[in-house]
Amino acid sequence: DATRGTSADCQPCPCPAGATCAVVLKTREVVCTNCPAGTTGKRCELCDDGFFGDPLGRSGPVRACRACKCSDNIDPNAVGNCNRQTGECLKCIYNTHGFFCDRCKDGFYGNALATNPADKCKPCSCSPLGTVGPQTGCSQVTGQCPCLPNVAERDCSACQPGFFNLQSGAGCERCNCSPIGSTN
Amino acid sequence: PRPDVHPLPPGTHLLFAQSGRIEHVPLEGYSMKKDDAKTVLHLPEKVIIGVAYDCVEKMVYWTEITSPSISKASIEGGEPISVIKSDLDSPEGIAIDHLGRTVFWTDSTKDRIEVASLDGSQRRIIVDSDLVNPRAIITDPPNGNLYWTDWNRDAPKIETSYMDGSNRRVLVKDNLGLPNGLTYDSQSSLLCWADAGTHMMECMQPARGDRRKVTEGIQYPFGITSFGKNIYYTDWRRDAVVAVDRNAGQESDQFQPLKRTKLYGIATAYAQCPSGQNYCAVN
Repeated sequence: DATRGTSADCQPCPCPAGATCAVVLKTREVVCTNCPAGTTGKRCELCDDGFFGDPLGRSGPVRACRACKCSDNIDPNAVGNCNRQTGECLKCIYNTHGFFCDRCKDGFYGNALATNPADKCKPCSCSPLGTVGPQTGCSQVTGQCPCLPNVAERDCSACQPGFFNLQSGAGCERCNCSPIGSTN
Repeated sequence: PRPDVHPLPPGTHLLFAQSGRIEHVPLEGYSMKKDDAKTVLHLPEKVIIGVAYDCVEKMVYWTEITSPSISKASIEGGEPISVIKSDLDSPEGIAIDHLGRTVFWTDSTKDRIEVASLDGSQRRIIVDSDLVNPRAIITDPPNGNLYWTDWNRDAPKIETSYMDGSNRRVLVKDNLGLPNGLTYDSQSSLLCWADAGTHMMECMQPARGDRRKVTEGIQYPFGITSFGKNIYYTDWRRDAVVAVDRNAGQESDQFQPLKRTKLYGIATAYAQCPSGQNYCAVN
């Protein structure tokens, strides 16, 4: 307020070097208006969309703004790919999930960090007949679905040798073939 | 009144989003009066994506993704008014039907298109299937049509429907990359789009289906808006608003704000509403 006639009428902007500021008339709040490249916010404390960090060190050491770090599992054409402060990835693709898009999402398995998208996360595709309960989840790494008793294969789609009747939906039953009359 | 925020003088303007600001450049004829560019609205903590203009009440509407919401403010100077603030994940494109008094938007995470009255009431989902990355959305109020883009990398498309979501059809699906921007000029009945994948700007008359290239080799278009023979688009590589003469198929001007950061949505704020009415407005 330059009209009060004291030496403290005009104060330096509470903004990083080079930024200008203005006072919101209603709230008397000071807002920086020309933050350094890559930063934004009332005090230039935030990173631009697609970047994360803590350029003023508001919650710990100063972390310069850098591009979202999401294991190459985000799309550069998307907006809001990560949280601008924590860097938490918000728009994982290729069926990945997690803070850094570094895991497969539920119902998928494989290596989220593989270079080729086709090698990343594949659907569990558990066989409904051979899998325990209605669940569709499998082991994140091996893709092994939880099989009913005496059921085999990664996706629980077949009976173990010597067992039959996957169709029962309750596991497979022993063949009980006579050892004398059977060929194997 | 807010700091460095200015009510708009009469005339036609471009409104575009840059970080937490909505900036405007006045148009004089077709040329941008760059020296008169100013901030209309400054929301320092927000990331504004889509911008739309209601020529009736002279309000700017925008989508914001940090606390996903849709808001509006008078361009004659005014505080933001919340329109929608719940059940949004990544609202991006936004469009106004100035005759029907409704707002449409895309949500790229919920993968749907919704509509509501301009105060946020009477909200309704109108499209919620076969959408992967819906982005731009545009209205043609006199004819009751809606147009939108989906930049799905596996199957990008431009679609249309009536304003209630019925009669949905794919208009364009071949030779598309990342159709980020879409605009409709009611005078010429031209639907034009800017593609950050093919780096082309193209137009078609939706009723005829004739498609033609306006210009190629554009860098990274995001938003696009039309005014007369000109098309203005925001570019993520150039951090600029670029003007293209649709007839000449050539870039005619550019405006690069001092602040170098991505520009998002862009809209034309007409001095007057385009003439025309639709049956909903009459009823």
